[in-house]
This record gives sequence, structure tokens and C-alpha cells, in this order.
Amino acid sequence: LSLFPPVRPPKKTSPKKPPTKQQAAMAEEQMEEASSSAAASGTPFQLQFDKPIPFQIKLAEWNPEKDLLAMVTDDSKVLLHRFNWQRLWTISPGKCITSICWSPDGKIVALGTEDGFVLLHDVENGKMLRSIKSHDVAIICLNWAEDEPLSRTDKEDLLSYEDRTTRFFPPAPVMPRIGGLNSGDTGLADENEEAIQAFSSASCQRFNILCTGDKDGCICFSIFGIFPIGKININKVPIHVQSSGKRTSYRLQDVSISKVSLSRNLHQLVLLCSGKLINTDNLSLSNDLSVGVHCLHLDTSIFSNRKNELHQVSQQASSIQDLVEVVRASISMMSKQWSNAMNLFHEKFSALPSLLTAHGMESSSEDEFMSLLFGTHTSPALHQFLVSSLGEAGLKRIAKTIESAGRELRIVVSEHLQPAVEIISFRLAELRGLARWRSRFQNIGLDEKLMDGVTERVGMLVVQVERFSRVAATVLYLFQNFLSWVLKCVKILLSEPTDQVPSTNSELVVIFLKFLLDKDPIKQLLETDQIFEWDIDTAKHVEHLVVFGGFTDTKFLERSLAKQFSELEESLKEAFLMPFTTVSSQIHCQGLLPLYPVTSSDALSSTSTPASIAFYKQDKDSQHNASSYSSTDYICFKIPDGSLNLRNFVAVIKDFCNSCSTSNTPSLSGFLLHIPVEYECVDLSLYKDNQVVLLLSGKSSSENAGRSWMVMLQTENLSFSQFSRTFPANYYNLQELEALELQLDTDYGKVRSVPHPLSTPLAVSASRGVACIFSSRRHALVYILDEDEDEDEDEGSEME
Amino acid sequence: SAPMVRMNTLVYATCFADAASSSELSLAYVKLIEQLAVFKGYSAAFCALKLAEEKFPSSTNSQIHLLKMQLLHERALHRGHLRIAQQICDEFGVLSSSVSGVDIELKTEASLRRARTLLAAKQFSQAAAVANSLFTTCYKYNMQVENASVLLLLAEIHRKSDNAVLGLPYALASQSFCKSFNLDLLEASATLTLAELWLALGSNHAKRALSLVYQSLPMILGHGGLELRARSQIVLAKCHLTDPEFSVSEDPCAVLDPLNQAAEDLQVLEYHEMAAEVYYLKAMTYNHLGKEYEREEAAARFKEHVTALENPRDEEDSLVY
Repeated sequence: LSLFPPVRPPKKTSPKKPPTKQQAAMAEEQMEEASSSAAASGTPFQLQFDKPIPFQIKLAEWNPEKDLLAMVTDDSKVLLHRFNWQRLWTISPGKCITSICWSPDGKIVALGTEDGFVLLHDVENGKMLRSIKSHDVAIICLNWAEDEPLSRTDKEDLLSYEDRTTRFFPPAPVMPRIGGLNSGDTGLADENEEAIQAFSSASCQRFNILCTGDKDGCICFSIFGIFPIGKININKVPIHVQSSGKRTSYRLQDVSISKVSLSRNLHQLVLLCSGKLINTDNLSLSNDLSVGVHCLHLDTSIFSNRKNELHQVSQQASSIQDLVEVVRASISMMSKQWSNAMNLFHEKFSALPSLLTAHGMESSSEDEFMSLLFGTHTSPALHQFLVSSLGEAGLKRIAKTIESAGRELRIVVSEHLQPAVEIISFRLAELRGLARWRSRFQNIGLDEKLMDGVTERVGMLVVQVERFSRVAATVLYLFQNFLSWVLKCVKILLSEPTDQVPSTNSELVVIFLKFLLDKDPIKQLLETDQIFEWDIDTAKHVEHLVVFGGFTDTKFLERSLAKQFSELEESLKEAFLMPFTTVSSQIHCQGLLPLYPVTSSDALSSTSTPASIAFYKQDKDSQHNASSYSSTDYICFKIPDGSLNLRNFVAVIKDFCNSCSTSNTPSLSGFLLHIPVEYECVDLSLYKDNQVVLLLSGKSSSENAGRSWMVMLQTENLSFSQFSRTFPANYYNLQELEALELQLDTDYGKVRSVPHPLSTPLAVSASRGVACIFSSRRHALVYILDEDEDEDEDEGSEME
Repeated sequence: SAPMVRMNTLVYATCFADAASSSELSLAYVKLIEQLAVFKGYSAAFCALKLAEEKFPSSTNSQIHLLKMQLLHERALHRGHLRIAQQICDEFGVLSSSVSGVDIELKTEASLRRARTLLAAKQFSQAAAVANSLFTTCYKYNMQVENASVLLLLAEIHRKSDNAVLGLPYALASQSFCKSFNLDLLEASATLTLAELWLALGSNHAKRALSLVYQSLPMILGHGGLELRARSQIVLAKCHLTDPEFSVSEDPCAVLDPLNQAAEDLQVLEYHEMAAEVYYLKAMTYNHLGKEYEREEAAARFKEHVTALENPRDEEDSLVY
């Protein structure tokens, strides 16, 4: 990614080369205003620039590593801008995009679509790397969390596992390009393939998990974003709540997930969802109030406890899946190439039988060729066929087509199919070794027996590929021989010199006429539903080999190559489903907190209520030593007007997870924030160091319409009050919380006014300390949230 | 990759059975039988060997003959029939030409097997002498794989003679040798030997040994033969047992699982010495857990193997198959 060197926000300089005069003037105006107001009242956030954009932005997200901002427009275009607002690329995936997130290393942007696909795009050029269908309905939220290297202790480092494949094999083969000869865009295809290669190798460096939550309450987990490892349906998860010594079980119905967040140590997952809470012990205890937004805490410690094992398995398994795709593409391409060639051949030679019947003869074309070969006589029909309807040129064309198809087949087999199958078998052997380590790998569901089965299948596939290449070579040679013999015959019939034609083997011509004129073994091998009959010798031989440790399934040679491949696929699927189900079954719900009720009419809109979840490392952890750090979760959300009889409130809660798991750690606490009446909260986000950034926009009715505020609050300065997390049915503990009045001129935090009416989204970047906000007048404004250290000092000295 | 060896040989044996020359085909069969012996035990291997001998009846077929002798030697060693093992060793020596510098591979194999026989007979100094001279030969002729395995053997000799400290440098040398020549499986077994040596140095090294075992396990379980696998399982259990912080009653499965697996593998292999060790450890573990019935059972099996080892009754049996 050398293309994008990290760019530090330049200090107090206007943007370079504004596109038009007007904009330049506007920007300068902004800058002036910014500097003047900064001088006057110490306005905290510096305006970097203010740019008009021709789209309505729906979603925006900063890259965690580089100064890049990805935005999704209302018509589902994806834009990528640099910090200086230079546009890098635009893509339109043609689907409605409902969520966006970056991979932790900032190299991939993941998009969730309305129809349940996760699309992974390369940051360099916007090319799609993968498209994975993991959900049935719209994906509302994405969260891609990476394991922190800090949490790794010395002991686990010794368990580091090396992927040996790269040492023993050349780089994995890529998918054969369709229509290899005449494609004009080979350069592009090459690049794409390289990107995919780089992607699969680079993405496996550090363990990370992508969580996706959809509208129907399903959450999917996939390692590296590509290898699915678990799926849970919140509608089916039993929730046990310990309240006053009594255990009550609940269940949520009609769940729609609005936010997921996996902690950085992969230990816990917090999600916000709306749904109806049902007491499974006492069904009568539910009423309208039980429909609301709830906060759930899921225990995903399986990911952190077993991350080494999961890492190894997913690394091998995802590359196996890649290679399986390569094999599939190779087989389909070979079958296409060959059937094209064969169509031409049959088209030309099918004229012969009809000619024969036209001449009133009852012999078959095979007989005719035979009699020609042995020099008895040449029937007028055959003579006519060879000389006029086929002709020398036609014959040469067939020969050329078959030859080129044969060459293609050879290339595909030797460069794609065979290496792919070989690497699959090697990687499977490695996986089998892991599967044998029962004490470690059985609890993530790697099953030894299933792996053995798959290894056996892939062995048979290797044999099949070898057989296929042999059959193909024989058939091609026979075709070549036959066609040059026919050419010779044509020349003789036309009494032309035959010295140009290569000599032919008449025995092989007989074999060709007997076995190949009507049949097509290559095609048979490439089709799934063919059964082969092999001579008794071979069958005996195979049975014999079983004693020597051969394949116990002695019938495997009866299957075709394609059939064998589909069997391999099936068993692979079965084998990889085991970890999937095992891991899914080990994710449990740990705690529940009803946040606020919603009436069913606005239940739909509740998904768009601004909310933010973040995990922060606990600084002072006296009870534990440094290696086992814990993290605190902060949940911040806006309470919709009218719910809980509150209006214009924002709530912040912390320590939800810790209060669920243990009793001695700090318990659940939070506060409510009342926003001045004339403003409404447009969006909010948690920001580094326990801060909250709020976007307030003036209500259209008030005189403040058109003016907005960006507020950054230091949560430590605000008083968190504890509240209990046990609850009777249909009760929302949030009501207990103290409400604080937010006044825009107090020193809770930093406040800056924005002279535009604002709209969602708000994108803040903790790593770069910038925020991008969008006005409803189609402007994008980028603010610097915190100044550099030295700047702070400067300001301090100025004040002095 | 062991499964790939099998697969590719099978490809050869299946696809080219009609075209290959008999010597090449017999080589394929030899490879398959070797695999069988390592992964499925001797009875299966000898069964296949009989068939192969029928298929290639020419008595001059040296490869199959050689294989037969190798298998017989291994089995004799495992069963504790040392006299037979010695006899086969001598036969090996006769097979090679007496001219120096010719048939080097055969000669090194012969002396390697001699050293192993001596080791099994607990004649450590002689075994070490043979191994040392073998190492110089291998070094002279640049035989890297043999070099590494001889070093490993030396480490093993020192370990068995309770000289763990002397063994360490050999094991380390072997390990680094393997690393530079990409001999992964041999490296894993060198790592395993290293772990055994650390373990022999005392219980405060148990943690280090355990991490070494963990390092080598994926490789060994994936590609190693029955013997190596069983050995690694035993070492794993031993690591847990010697670790002072580990308590059997808390996590009995951590010890019993590997031991059971090792017992299974060794049963197939007819390896009395190691099987006895496994049952001894098992009996000890059950004793700690207070499960008397299981303890008695394991102890009985232990006794069985020890007597089989000490009184090789049916020695003649070792030469027939």
C-alpha cells in the first residue's frame, strides 16, 4: 500500500488547489471564520475544509490505518477519498448497500448489501475480491475486529504455526481465464488475480473476525472475512437472567440487529437489537412494553481461547476453498473448450450418414471408412462427402480446431488443474495432522474421521486427473492421426501429391473408427452423470492395491472426473460444517439489558437511531497483572422521543459486559444527557479515550434552524451513577438514571458551532483524530478533533 | 508429506500399471508397503509383501528382498528379539560389496541398524562407537539426511544411557541440520527428542519440554508413523505428569487421552518396550485417581508386555510372516 503514505493533517493551511473560484472563496471564508472564532473564543475543532459533494451520503467510515474515507451514497455508489479530498475511486456494485466497514489492517473495505451479501473490495483499486452470501436478508451492521498482539503471551508464541505449503510448492495456481486467446483485457484480469492472491496471503497474517448482523436477528462470524466460522440466530438464543436469586429465562422475538461490536480481545460481543422480550417461563407476562431495544452480551470466548487453532484451520481451509474454485473453473472451462471443438467435428461429419441414405446405402459411416482404409472400394457417397462437402479446407479447419482445443486442455491441466489438486491434497494432509491432535482441535470441531474421508477423496481426484490427462492425450493423438489419414485420402481422391501429408498409422485409424467416431471419452469424463465400465484387469488391479493400502473404494474409477470432484466438494463441505456448528454452539448469551421500549409503529425506524458501541482498555487494573488486561465497554445511544417519557435524551452506559460476567468488577453505570430543547441529536459516536462526539442540529421550528453544533464530551468529567442490571419484566432500568442537562456553553467538553444544518452520518477516526460530517446541503466538512501535542502546548503558552 | 507420498505412489500404481517397467512398478509397491508398515503395522505390511512377492517372482529382485529384511529387523527390534535382529544386521552387512566406497547407502543402513540393535541391547558404548564412525562416513560422503538421523540416534543413545546433558548438543545439531535441509518430519522428531532430554533433566524443565512437544505435534501427528506418534503422546503425558504445577485429579483427560491413543497405536505395532511404558504410566495415573479396577487392569497389561519383552519365546516366529 505504498500508494497512500499516511498523511498528517496539515496545520492550518487551506486545501490545495480548490476546484473552482467560488469554492475557494468559500473555503477561505470558512478558514477565516475558523481562525477568527478560534482566536476569539478558543473554538476547539479546527475546520480542515468544507467541500460540496454531489451526492447524498448514507454511510461513511474512516480507514483505521490510512487517511482514507469511504462513503456510500444514497444510490449505493461507493466513493473513496483521501484526506485532502482527492477521489481515488468510485464503484457502483449494483446492489443496495446497507452497511460498511474496514478490515483492521485497512486493506479491504467490506460492504453489506440488502440481499445478504458481504462484498469485499480492495482498497487499492476498488476491485471486488470476494462476494459471500451469508445472510438471507439485509445486513445492517458489520464489525471487523482484530486480535490484539498484546494479549498474546509468551507461551502461546511457541505454538506459532508455520504454513509449510509455500516452502514446498510454487505459488498456487489461479483460475484459468475463459477464452484465453482472444481476451483483450488480459492485463486487468491479471491484476485482479494478483490482487486475490495477495489478498489470500496477506489477510492471513493476523487473526481477525468479521461479524455481520442482519435484519432477522442472525449474526455471522467469519475469520479473515472469508472463512465462515459461526452463525447464531438471536431469536433462538435462550437468555438466562439471574434476578434476586431466581433464574428467569427469556427469549427475544422478531429481532432486528442494529449494532454489533466485538471487543478487541475477541472475548465478548455486545449488540443492540430491537425485538420483543418474552419470558419463556411465564408467557402471559408480555405486553406492548416488552417490545423495545435491548442490549445483549454474548460470550465469544471461544474465539479468544482457541484463536491459534482457529487461525491455523481457517488459514488452511480458506486456501483449500480457493483452490476448489480453481478446480471447478478449470473443469468447466475444459468442458467448454472441448465441446466447442467437438461440435464442429460432429457438424461436419454428420453430413456423411445423410449422404449415405441419400445414395440408398445401408452401411454406417464406420463401415465406409473401414472399406476405404482397406482399399476395397470407395462408395460414391463417401467420395462425395470427402471431396465436396468436407473438402481439404474444411478438414484442415477441423484439425486446427481440435489441435488448439487439445493444447488448451493440456495447458489447463498442467498449469491449473493438477497443481491445484496437488496443493489441496497437501493442505488437507496438514489439516488431517491437526485433526489428529484431538485434545486441541476437537473442541473447535475439526473431526478426524471427516478429514480422513476428505483426504481419501482428494487422493482419488489426483488419480482421476492423471487418468484424464492420459485419456486426453490418447484421444488427441488418435484424432490427429485420423484426420491426417482422411486428408491423405482426400488428396488421393483428388489425385494431388500426398508427400506433404504426415504418414499415418492405419492401426490407430481402426481404433479411432471403432472407439471414437461416435463416442467422446473426454466429454464423458467432464460430465457428472457418466458411469464408466473398466475392463476386468483394471478392476482387479485396483482391488489388489487395496491390500497395499490403496483406496478402499474400489469403484472410484467408474466415476467421471467431474463426479469425483463434486464428491470431494460434498465431503469438504461436510468437514468444514463441523467447526462451523461446533463453534456456533459455543457462543452463549451472557446478559441482557432492556434499554428503551419502542411502539411497534416506529420499530422499523428504530434501526436508524444513532448508537455507538466501543471497547476501551482499562488503564488502571489493580487486581490483575498487566498481561491479562480487560476492557470496558461503552454504549452510547439516543433515546427516541417519547420512549420512556423522555424527550431529547442521549444515554451513555458503561461496564455492561463486566457486570454480566463477574460480580466483583465495577458494576453497570451510566447517565442520561438532556439535549437543549431547540436542538436534536443527529448522530453520535464514541471516540478515543472515552469521549463522545455528538452532532446537534437546530430544529426547523426554532430560530436556531440552520445552525448546528458538534460537541465532544469527556465522559470522565460526567458523573456516572450505578444502576442495577437485574430487572423485573417489562421494566427499563434506564429510568433510574440521573439526567444531566447539556448546556452548550459549559465546560463538560469542547463545543463548536457549524453553520449548516447537519445530517447523518458522522464519521470519526480515532487513529487520525479527525471527524467528517455531512450537511444536508450536500457539503462535507472535515474537522480535526484533537490538535497535536505541540499545538496544545502552543495554545497553553498563548493563554499564559 | 506422508499422505502425498501414498497418493502419488497410488497414482503411479493405478494409472501406469500397464506401461511401467517391472522394476519401477516394484519400487512403487515397495513404497506402498513401507507406508503400510509405518502407518498400519506389520501384519498388514507382511500380508502385502507376500502378494508383492507373488507378483514379482524373480528372486533377484533386490528391492523387495531388502524391504523384507528391513521390515523383519524392525519387527524383531520392537518385539525384543535381539538375536534375530543381530542376525539380520549381519545379513545386511553381507549384502553390500566389500570394496570400500561402493554401495555406501547399503553400508550406512547396515551400520545404522547395527547401532540401533546395540542400543536395544543396552550396549551403549558400543552403539555410540558405531554411530560415531557412521557419522564420519556420512560426513565424508555428504549424506545430509543420514547425518541428521545419525546425530539424532546419538542423542537417543545418550538419553537412554542417562546422559541427558551429553545428548542435548547432538539433538540440537540434528535439529539445525534438518532445518537447513527442509527435513520437517525429522526436525519434528529431533524436537521431540530434545523435549525428552529436557524432561530427563528434571521436573523444572517440564514447561519447556511441553512447549517443544506442542511445537512438533502437528507435524508428527500429520505425517509421522505409528511409532513416532505413540512416542510423542507418551512424552506429552510425561510432561504433564512431571510438571509440579499439574495435578492429575484436576484434569485426568490431559494425561489419559494421549496414553490411550499411544496404547492403541503400539498395539498395532507390537512394540513391547514402549507399550509397557504406556501401561506403567496409565497404572500410575489411575493410582493417583483412586480408580483401582482400572489400575489393576493397566498393571496387568504392563506385566504382559514386560514378560513378552524379557522372555522372547517364539523367536523363530520372527523370521516367518
